[in-house]
Amino acid sequence: MQMTGDETAPQKALVEFREIGKTYPNGTVALRNVSFQVIEGDILAVCGENGAGKSTLMKILAGIEQPTQGTIHYEGRQRRIADPNVAGDMGIGMVHQHFSLIRSLSVAENLALGQEPRRGLLIDRRAAADRVRELAQKFSLDVDPNTKVGSLSVAAQQKVEILKALSRNTRLLILDEPSAVLTPQETQELFVQLRSLRARGVTIIFISHKLHEVRALANRITVIRSGEVVEDGVLSEMSDAAISKLVMGVDVTRASRNQRDLSAATPVVVVKKATVATGDADRRIDAIDLTIRAGEILGIAGVDGSGQEGVVDLLCGNVQPDEGDIALLGKPMALATTLDWRRAGMAHLPGDRFQIGGAPHMSLVDNVMAGSHRDKQFTRGPFLRVGAMVARTNELIKTFNVRCLGPREPLNSLSGGNAQKLVAAREFSSNPKFLIVNQPTRGIDVAAAAMIHGELLRLSQNGTAILLVTSDLDELLQLSDRVAVMFDGRIAVVLENDGLTPERLGPFMLGLEKTS
Amino acid sequence: MIRAAFASTAITAGFCLFVLLVVLVPVALLYPEPGEVLSRFLLGPFEKTRYMGNIVELATPSMLTALAVVLMFRCGAFNLGVEGSFFLGGLTTAAMVLWMPLPPLVGIPLALLAGAIVGSVVCGIPGIVKATTGASELVSSLMLNYAAVFIGLFVLNYYLRDPTAAMLSSDRFPAEYRFESLIPRTRIHIGSIVAVVACIIGAIYLNRTSQGLEVRISGTGNDFSRHLGLNSVALNIRIQVIGGMIAAFAGGIEMLGLYSRFTWQNTTGNGWTGVIVAIIARDNPILIIPAALFIGYLQVGGDLVSRAFGVPTEIVSLIQALVMICVTSVAIFQHPALRKFVQGDRGGAAQ
Ligand SMILES: Nc1ncnc2c1ncn2[C@@H]1O[C@H](COP(=O)(O)OP(=O)(O)OP(=O)(O)O)[C@@H](O)[C@H]1O
Ligand SMILES: [Mg+2]
Repeated sequence: MQMTGDETAPQKALVEFREIGKTYPNGTVALRNVSFQVIEGDILAVCGENGAGKSTLMKILAGIEQPTQGTIHYEGRQRRIADPNVAGDMGIGMVHQHFSLIRSLSVAENLALGQEPRRGLLIDRRAAADRVRELAQKFSLDVDPNTKVGSLSVAAQQKVEILKALSRNTRLLILDEPSAVLTPQETQELFVQLRSLRARGVTIIFISHKLHEVRALANRITVIRSGEVVEDGVLSEMSDAAISKLVMGVDVTRASRNQRDLSAATPVVVVKKATVATGDADRRIDAIDLTIRAGEILGIAGVDGSGQEGVVDLLCGNVQPDEGDIALLGKPMALATTLDWRRAGMAHLPGDRFQIGGAPHMSLVDNVMAGSHRDKQFTRGPFLRVGAMVARTNELIKTFNVRCLGPREPLNSLSGGNAQKLVAAREFSSNPKFLIVNQPTRGIDVAAAAMIHGELLRLSQNGTAILLVTSDLDELLQLSDRVAVMFDGRIAVVLENDGLTPERLGPFMLGLEKTS
Repeated sequence: MIRAAFASTAITAGFCLFVLLVVLVPVALLYPEPGEVLSRFLLGPFEKTRYMGNIVELATPSMLTALAVVLMFRCGAFNLGVEGSFFLGGLTTAAMVLWMPLPPLVGIPLALLAGAIVGSVVCGIPGIVKATTGASELVSSLMLNYAAVFIGLFVLNYYLRDPTAAMLSSDRFPAEYRFESLIPRTRIHIGSIVAVVACIIGAIYLNRTSQGLEVRISGTGNDFSRHLGLNSVALNIRIQVIGGMIAAFAGGIEMLGLYSRFTWQNTTGNGWTGVIVAIIARDNPILIIPAALFIGYLQVGGDLVSRAFGVPTEIVSLIQALVMICVTSVAIFQHPALRKFVQGDRGGAAQ
C-alpha cells in the first residue's frame, strides 16, 4: 500500500519514505508510520507544529539519525543511509536548523572538511579555495572563501551552509527552516536562488512555519502532526485556512493589542544621545535618543544591520556607550554591566537561543533556573533546592507549552521551536521591569507565536517596558505601541502606531526620508 | 544522565581492555609463555591483597588530581598545572613537617593546608594571566610546571637536604606525622578515604550548589554566562585556584602517606594521570573513583609483568601509553567542550 498524494502525477519519485518510525533513545516517539514520496524536480514544503518531527525525518534522510522502523527508497531502490557521507554520495545535502559550521575555520576549510583536496599528505588550500569560488559562481551565491565563518553575518553563514550542502553534486537539497534567521529581504534573495536551483534540476525539501513563504516557493506540501503525516498533496489545491487547521489541529486566534495612551506613563528606559563607535560596523549606533515607558511596547524597525543589534547590546549591558546617557527608572546605567542591568530588572530574550540564550548540553532545569539560581526561593545557604527548581521548571514547561519528556532532559533533545519557548519562559517569568525581545517568534509555530505574543501583551499590561526587535513587520505592527525606525545606526523617526502600515515605514527604513 | 555517563565510562573501559589485548598480545608472543604474561597483566593485580592495595594507593592521588582537573574543565579552563601543583604541594608539606615542631594533630592539617596554598599558585597564576592578558592557560600552566620543579629542587638542595643521606633527599619525617596503614599488608592510608569523600563533595558542589551551577554554565562558553550577567572571569580564577589547592593537597597527602623523606627530583606524573582519569570519567566527579581505580589496575598489571618476565619498563609504559591515547581520543570526541577546544573554537558554535 502506497500513498501517492495526487493521482494526476506522472512524475517520478526521487525519495519514498515507507512506514518510517523513530523513537529516540530517551523514549521520545518522534515519528510513527510516515509514508510519502518526494517527486523529482519539486519544491516540497514540510510543515507542522514545533516538535512534530520535521527535523527528525530530514535527519533520517540525511543519514544523521537512523529510523527505528521502516525503509527509505531512493530512485526506486531501497537504501540504508548509514551516515551523512552515504547521503552525500547519494546526492543528498542538508542545511540544518542550527548552524553546523566551525566558526574558527575559513569558508573554504569548512567546505573542504571531510573531503579535503590533498597534495601529498597536506591539504591543498589553494584547490579548496578554488573549489569554493567555482561553486559560488555556479550557484551564484557570493562568498569569499578565505574569511572566517565566525566573522560572517548570519545571512552569509546561511549561504555557506547552502554551498556546503551543494558541494557534492547534490540532487536533493534539504533546508530546515532556512528563513528563520533571515530578514524578509534576505529570504526573498534566498528564494530566487532556490528557484534557480530547481531550474537546474535540484529537488528541494523546505521546512518553514510561515505559510506565505511556503506559498511563494513550494508546489507540494506535506504536513506532519505529532509524528504522523496528516496531509500530502499539491499546494495550489489547498486554502490557507485548511493548511493552518491541518498544521495546528485547531484554529489559532491572534493576540491583539488595545490602542492605549501611554504618554503619561513613567519612563522606564531613557537613552540620551548614546553613541557606540567601536566594534562591528553593523552594531554601531550614533546619537540615539529613546524613551520606553512603563507598559509600552516599543518596536524597532529597520533593514537588518541598521543598528538594532547595537541598541540591544547597549540596553542589556553588553557594551557601554562611548558618549551619552542611559537611565533605567532614574538610575544611571551608562557604566552598567549585564549583571547591573539584570539586578535593576532587565530581562532579555536574545536572537540566538542556542548560542547565547541557553546551554544545549545542560538540562532544562539548569537552563530555566540559570539566572534565578541565587534567589532565596531556590536556595538553602549555598545549596540549591532542587525540588523547588524542578517544580518551577515543570510549571513553566506547562504554561509555555514546551513539548519535552521531562525537566531533566538536556536542552538539545528539544525540537528547535520548543527550545526557544523554554528560553522565552525563563526570561519572561523573571518579572522584568524592562524586557528586550529580539526576534521573539523566530522558528516558532503559529500557535506558539500567538502564545508568545499574548505573554508579551500581558507583561506590557502589567507595566513592563518592552523593547521589541523583529524583522517580521507584521509582528512589529501587531504588537508595538510606537515604532522607531533605524537607518545606518541612527533613529530615523519614531512613529505612533495608530494604524501604521509597512508602506509608511518603507521610506524611513531605506533612508529615503527622515524626521528628527 | 548519570546512567548514560556510567554506560559510556563502561564502554570506554571495555574499549581499553580491547586495545590492551591488541597491543599486549604481540608483546606477550615474544616470551616463551605468552599466556602467562597475559594473565599476569590482567589477573595478577587481584592475586594478592598487597597488589590490590597498590591499586588503591595509585588511585588515591589520581582521584584528587582528577577532581581538580574536572572542576577546572567544567568551568571551561583547560589548565594543566595540576602536575606542578602536586609537586609543590608535596614539597611544602614536607618542609612544614620538618620545620614545625607542632603536635601532629595540629601540625598535619596545617602542613597540608600550607601545601595546598603554596601549590595552588601553579594553577592560579595561569588563570590570572588568562583573565588579564588573554594568554592561553593551557600553555602557561604547562610552562609553569617546569618552574615549579626547579623552585622545588632549589629549596630541596639548599634548605631541606639531608647531608648524610646518599641521595638527594630531605631529612626523615618524624614518625608521628606519617599516616598509618589502615589495612594490614597494604599501605592504604587515610588519604584514600579523603579522596573518595572529596570526589563526592565535588559532585555535590557541581550539581547541588548555586556556585556549581555557575561553574557549569561558564564551562559551556562565554556567551551564555555573559547573557546571564555572571562574572565568569572571577569564577574562572577562583576555580583554578581551588583546583590547584586540591592537586597540591593531593601532593601533601601522597608525601605523608607513602614517603618517609622528600625525594622527588622531578614531577611525578600524578597530575597527568589525573588528566586522563578526568577525561575517562567524562568530567563526572563520581565516575572519577572507578576511572582512577581502573588506571591504577593497568599500572599494577604492567609493573607485575615487567618484574616477573623482565619485560622492559619502556615496553610496559608504551603499552600503557597506547591504551591511554586510544581512550583519551575516544573520550575527546565525545566531550563537547574539549572537542570545541581542540577545534580552536573557544567561543563555541551552536550545535
Ligand atoms: N536528540 C534527541 N533526543 C531525544 N529527543 C529528541 C531529540 N531530538 C528531537 N527529539 C524529540 O523529537 C520530537 C521531534 O523533534 P523535531 O526536532 O523533529 O521537531 P520539529 O518538527 O523539527 O520541530 P521544530 O519546528 O520546533 O523545529 C520532539 O518531541 C523532540 O523533543
Ligand atoms: Mg526542527
